[in-house]
Amino acid sequence: MQTQRSAIVISSPMQHSQRSTGRLMLLVIAACIPGVATATWYFGFGVLINIMLAASMAIVLEACALKLRGRDIRLHLSDNSALVTAVLFGIAMPPGASWWLVAMGIFFAIVIAKHIYGGLGQNLFNPAMCGYVLLLLSFPVEMTSWHIPNDALVDGSSFSAFSLAGLRQSLMVSMPVFGGAQMSSPDSIDGLAMATPLIEFKMAGTSALLAAWDAGVSGFSRDSGAAWELVNMGYLCGGLFLIYKRIISWHIPCAIIATVTVMSTLYYAPGSSAIYGTPYLHLFGSATMIGAFFIATDPVSAATTVRGKIYYGIIIGLAIYGIRVWGSYPDSIAIAVLLGNFCAPALDYLCRPRIYGHGKKSRTVPTAELKS
Amino acid sequence: MRLVSRLLGRRSDRAPYAIFGGIAAEAYKTRSLRSRLMPVPIPEKLVLPLSQNLDVDAVAIVEAGDLVQKFQPLAEAGEPGSVALHAPTSGLVSSISNATVADEFGSQRLCIHLQTDGEDRAIETVPEADYSALDHLQLLERIERAGICGLGGAGFPSAQKLSLGVKSGIDLLIINAVECEPFISADEALIRERGASVVVGAEILQSACLASNCIIVLQEDKADAIEALRKALEDSSIELMTLAARYPVGGEKQIIQAVTGMEVPSQAYPASIGVLVFNAGTAYAVYKAIVDGEPCVSRITTLTGAPLQTPKNFETLIGTSVSFLFDLCGIDTTRHTGTIVGGSLMGIQLPTLDVPVMKTSNCLIAMSAAEFPPDEPELACIRCGFCAEACPARLLPQQLYAFSRAHDHEQNLAHGLFDCIECGACAYVCPSHIPLVQYYRASKAEIRGQQARQLQSQHWQQRFQQHQYRIKQRRDEAPHQVSGDAVGPKNDDEPGNKNRSHGDGGKTEAAVFSRERAKREIAEAVARVRARRAGHIASSRTDAESDS
Ligand code: SF4
Ligand code: SF4
Repeated sequence: MQTQRSAIVISSPMQHSQRSTGRLMLLVIAACIPGVATATWYFGFGVLINIMLAASMAIVLEACALKLRGRDIRLHLSDNSALVTAVLFGIAMPPGASWWLVAMGIFFAIVIAKHIYGGLGQNLFNPAMCGYVLLLLSFPVEMTSWHIPNDALVDGSSFSAFSLAGLRQSLMVSMPVFGGAQMSSPDSIDGLAMATPLIEFKMAGTSALLAAWDAGVSGFSRDSGAAWELVNMGYLCGGLFLIYKRIISWHIPCAIIATVTVMSTLYYAPGSSAIYGTPYLHLFGSATMIGAFFIATDPVSAATTVRGKIYYGIIIGLAIYGIRVWGSYPDSIAIAVLLGNFCAPALDYLCRPRIYGHGKKSRTVPTAELKS
Repeated sequence: MRLVSRLLGRRSDRAPYAIFGGIAAEAYKTRSLRSRLMPVPIPEKLVLPLSQNLDVDAVAIVEAGDLVQKFQPLAEAGEPGSVALHAPTSGLVSSISNATVADEFGSQRLCIHLQTDGEDRAIETVPEADYSALDHLQLLERIERAGICGLGGAGFPSAQKLSLGVKSGIDLLIINAVECEPFISADEALIRERGASVVVGAEILQSACLASNCIIVLQEDKADAIEALRKALEDSSIELMTLAARYPVGGEKQIIQAVTGMEVPSQAYPASIGVLVFNAGTAYAVYKAIVDGEPCVSRITTLTGAPLQTPKNFETLIGTSVSFLFDLCGIDTTRHTGTIVGGSLMGIQLPTLDVPVMKTSNCLIAMSAAEFPPDEPELACIRCGFCAEACPARLLPQQLYAFSRAHDHEQNLAHGLFDCIECGACAYVCPSHIPLVQYYRASKAEIRGQQARQLQSQHWQQRFQQHQYRIKQRRDEAPHQVSGDAVGPKNDDEPGNKNRSHGDGGKTEAAVFSRERAKREIAEAVARVRARRAGHIASSRTDAESDS
């Protein structure tokens, strides 16, 4: 390619839009802020620590991988894609996960799932979710225990999650070094396996947020149980911002949300009590929003044609619901997205738009004509 | 006829159709529209490339040392694709020799060099105030003689396009004054000041191609030009349509889609669906050719860009050098970083300023670092799909890019690489700054090369088979004396010679005959490929052309 391209000195167009990949990726990270902030408020510093840990390791690993592949490190780091992978991976990790868990996952995500496949743009699967699923399969217990600093749970009205005690506790959980020689005793940390509401169906059918408000409690107080709902609202806001900024198109999130809504309504409506959970619970009770707006829309591994995106969203939506309700994994986003990634190339091929000037019927280009 | 009924049915609500994709590129037109259209003083020297579209050369009919007068023919149209050339002013033909022309490679082409004498003596012209006195064949003949080609950029000979249209029957003639390229304002300036002449030119074109309807199309942000046209169109049957500003709605295929809702079939000319598109500048040249009897020796060229002190639209003599024009506009050489001929999105960058303006040069942009920052380094494609959203041909540029990198031309063809009009909308929006169009051009060239090689190998294969056949024939014939019967049945097996007459007996005759036939067939095949290739070029170029 190089030789031919040098034959054409400078090629049109000479004018370009202002958007750049690096900036797009930063905006994606910015759009995560409301969700991450809410999650930190409810689940403590563990959330942020995960993200920070993942981000710093990702940058180092990305730089190493680029170096090994003989690429311009600074140029390719500037696309910020490793950062996005790290943030999404960090968000997916349970707060209080050990540092080695994070390291293992991010290594798999960046080095194996991304660079071994040929780097950004070549990876078939969403790297963050690859790393996450690997950990989920290898360390199911660790991956489903949510360590929330007990300070953060004591009293809804205090700001203890942001106090140093909370931070120190969180750090001790993920990196015992910080606790000094005396390894953190289990007592000082609430090893609470805080499952998402979907796992415990006790919440099914009601909105904790509304309930809290009905009961005259602020939805923002930590004991209101409205955590997941508000976190999801945060990601929903971020996602709408991305659509407004035209960084992602509406097709994938809408298809996912619509599918999950339809499925949960269908199975809920027959009145067979609340076994399957309400549509509302499915949308706001777990990681649906971040999945729909941030994870499934990773452009590299998603479908890229318009119709392809819609089918891709539907597949993911079905998988989310199916795995949650009939499968054995509590959280289904990662596996659903990987399944969608798997289908994406075929979807793109099948959903090629009708090219200008090609009759509505003839979908295939008469290649014979050109070659004859 | 389908179209006519549609037009009649929609007469009350003449809303344009939507085109696929497109981008909203920031426009930079006002600065060149501030001053009026100006004629350029006669430069000392004019250089006239024999081929005005850098494709096929015209045939020179003057020699070095000849004294010529303004409008005197200098070259005649030769092979299809070439147009006649006339002296833009009076002077001395100093030589006919190679000179650098305005393409991105700075290549050398045969040019007529004219030493002007400043007197501007003209030969007598034959004005024809009442063009309706001429029938369409006479009009065609005069348009051809005036050396008019598409002035929008591609430079396809107008007379050829018209007669092609007459052959297939034209329902609708579109006069394209859309000019969606962000820097070009030549047509806008032309219509603003000479709208009435453009309308007459459009009417002449309409009667030359026997079109039943004619419509002039503008982008709706050109208020002055629209105003001028409304006035000029008051008692004319020609309609006016305005389109929302969107690049590349002025591309030939796109404007047809916007006006009629129809699509030009892949690899076909617009005439095949009963539509012809001419640029407004071409209509004006036609007006001059018929009504004033003046051949095409000048054109309106936009001179713009930040390094120019007074950007403006010039009525430029063909052959004027770019540097002469820039000097007239007061160029600040310290800020000047490069030069584009054509628009910023489809134009080409000139390696040198010492090249002449041609009939196709609609715009010259002096680049500055602020407006045209150096290309940012190419990052990986993140498959964001922005390019596909912008593509007016509804291709998947990200897929074409991947296939081009992998040299997977089978997939490239299956994904419509040759339907790409090289508008550059995809590369404009790409956040990873990938020069997509460059990849497509390289792939197209590679595929064409492969096809040519394939053809050649077929040729050799055929010759080899014929050679073997002859040897075999000779061996067969040697023992028993030749008779017609022996040769007859075998002739049918000879490759490439299925229709040969039987029983002609003589072996040498047969061999000669078959060789000649093979030669002819190969020549025909080569010509077919050439024509097809010309078609590709023409179609991708005419898109460019009608854009402006
Ligand atoms: S716009 Fe650029 S980065 Fe985005 S899909 Fe197209 S080629 Fe890839
Ligand atoms: S250059 Fe080709 S692929 Fe790119 S937008 Fe234009 S037509 Fe589509």
